[in-house]
Amino acid sequence: MSTTTLDAERRFGTTALGRTAAFVGKALAYAVMGFFALMAVYPILWLCMNSFKSNADYQLDKIGLPKEWFPLNYKGAWEIGDFSILLPNSIFYTVVATLGVLLIATLASFAFAKLGSKAKGPIYGSFVIGIMLSLSSLMIPLFLQISQIDLSIGTLLASIGLVQDPRSFHLFYNTRFGVILVYIGSGLPMAVYMTTEYIKGIPTALVEAARIDGASYLRIFSRIILPMCVPILTTVAIITLPGIWNEFALINIIVGKLDLQSLPLGILRFSGSRSTDYGKQFAALVIGLTPMLLFYIAFRKQITKGVAGGAVKG
Amino acid sequence: MASALSGTRKEDTRAFWAFSLPAFVLYLFVFAFPIVLSAIISLSNYKGGQMFGGEAWKITGFKQFGILFADPAFWQALKNNIYIVLVSVLGQLPLGFVFAYLIYRKVVKLGAFWEGILYMPAIISVIVLGIMWKFIFASNGLLADLFTMGNTRHLIAAIDAALKAGPALSDEGIRHILAAMDPSIVGLLGSDPVAGFKEQLLPGGNPVIADATAFINDMKNYAPKWTPEFMTKQDTAMIPIMFVTLWCWTGMYIILFHANMEKIDREIIEAARIDGATEMQIAGHIVLPALSGIIINAAILCIAGSMNQFSLIWAMTGGGPMNVTEVLSIYMYRTATIGVNYPLSNAIAMVIIVFSFVLIGLTKLAERGLGGKE
Repeated sequence: MSTTTLDAERRFGTTALGRTAAFVGKALAYAVMGFFALMAVYPILWLCMNSFKSNADYQLDKIGLPKEWFPLNYKGAWEIGDFSILLPNSIFYTVVATLGVLLIATLASFAFAKLGSKAKGPIYGSFVIGIMLSLSSLMIPLFLQISQIDLSIGTLLASIGLVQDPRSFHLFYNTRFGVILVYIGSGLPMAVYMTTEYIKGIPTALVEAARIDGASYLRIFSRIILPMCVPILTTVAIITLPGIWNEFALINIIVGKLDLQSLPLGILRFSGSRSTDYGKQFAALVIGLTPMLLFYIAFRKQITKGVAGGAVKG
Repeated sequence: MASALSGTRKEDTRAFWAFSLPAFVLYLFVFAFPIVLSAIISLSNYKGGQMFGGEAWKITGFKQFGILFADPAFWQALKNNIYIVLVSVLGQLPLGFVFAYLIYRKVVKLGAFWEGILYMPAIISVIVLGIMWKFIFASNGLLADLFTMGNTRHLIAAIDAALKAGPALSDEGIRHILAAMDPSIVGLLGSDPVAGFKEQLLPGGNPVIADATAFINDMKNYAPKWTPEFMTKQDTAMIPIMFVTLWCWTGMYIILFHANMEKIDREIIEAARIDGATEMQIAGHIVLPALSGIIINAAILCIAGSMNQFSLIWAMTGGGPMNVTEVLSIYMYRTATIGVNYPLSNAIAMVIIVFSFVLIGLTKLAERGLGGKE
């Protein structure tokens, strides 16, 4: 308390008016901060609370605590919402695509930062532009592209008799491979940018010395560059992972069948089909937000570091 | 760098390609080819089906853009995109700056705690959040109940005050109660509401209230109800979306700005304070100019993010009612999926890409005009 007063005195002088102004200012700042914090937390708490209400209970009282706790909502939501399919799918897409982004981005970043070619400038530049490209504007062209590639390959295979119907063949559309490939591609620009800027900071002399000693580039990459990149790769992973987990617009056009749906897709489908089954609806939403909330609690410091570096776009 | 190792330039180039090829191919696959394909289809009469070797299609020129610019739905969607860009750039950034400054100057303590809470919505799927907010803003949702709860409290207070003088309700007290009731119910009480109140709401017309608790319980339902029509009325349907946009991503800019404020030399600020500068002066003359480069970068990220907006609106309104909350990406999606008009849909994709780069270019120009530096 005494340090606060001292601080305020230094800032606003020691007059009574100055002290009052400092106090009012501080109180106002806390009030505004508190209000916004409440605004951030309350809707989510409200959602959790209402996920334990029966439908009748929710319709009577949307504000209070549940009169009777109704955990069966979760069982119902889990079963009807096919979460036993969605959750493993989301985990698979996120883990594989994040690892893919890390590996492919680091390889390319090593090339952009330490190897030479005339094409370096334009290619690296195109990745940086990619950060600003709106991917949701590309979902229709992307859909046309992958379905046309599938169809062309299908026609080719049909002509040599490997498949009956050219349209039954899918390499990208409605396949895990397609989802993973698109997710890795969409995560690359930011990852390549961050990693390249980081590797530029590693002394080139290290690479040159290893070259003179006869080490191959692959060896330099795996023995020198990769170990030194662990800090930046951690940040990249922690920034990329929620983006892929929460992605909706692209998977929405790549995946049609239930077996391949991710959490956001499944939750929206569930919400659309049972819009008045409030209890289960809210339970499904809580199941949907819990993994990322836990992830945030576990890695808050690293996430904050990534955001502070400007690596996330809103 | 290539010349640093004499005699290995060729090898160097080969290694460059080997290392960057996987990333480059994927970049072409996800970004470059779709853009080129989109540009071509937007200029064609492609109707779907097999592109190569299927039904013939050809380049027909800029016809689709003419159709697009004549479509009121396009201008509606563009306007909504601009709303979202504006609420992001003029809402998220200034709010983020103010909060970051409060934390940086330790006007509020426990900065990490506030940052942690205010960033939280940004980590959660916008699909989940969008559906959640739909239930809050719905005409029978949380917001409606919260307002009705306030009105109910007001009504109960009026009854309590009227009963304070004694168990018998005076005409004056009834008038106060009537004022706190739902006007549509008061209207049902006839031309003389006080008489109507006694007749219809007091058992046997007896103004003496024996059981105040039971009376209040009955009367509670007559408080004014408020039905938010944000999501159903066409001219207000964007308000919830803009609100959630602000709610979701402001925390990100608090963290970004605060982290960069910490890089400012503390001694400059100490010196300014000793010279008698106020907090406002420090914020405006030292911190803001020092952050100008970061703010421009943030504005670019912000515009890119706003133009990328699809999922949140899709989950909240699906573009409705009557397409009034559509942004360009939803308009594009609708044109391709419901209308199955690929040339038009791809023309929209082109407009989104060109428009976002124009906005980013303008931001860069503003940076140069302001003399901002990295």
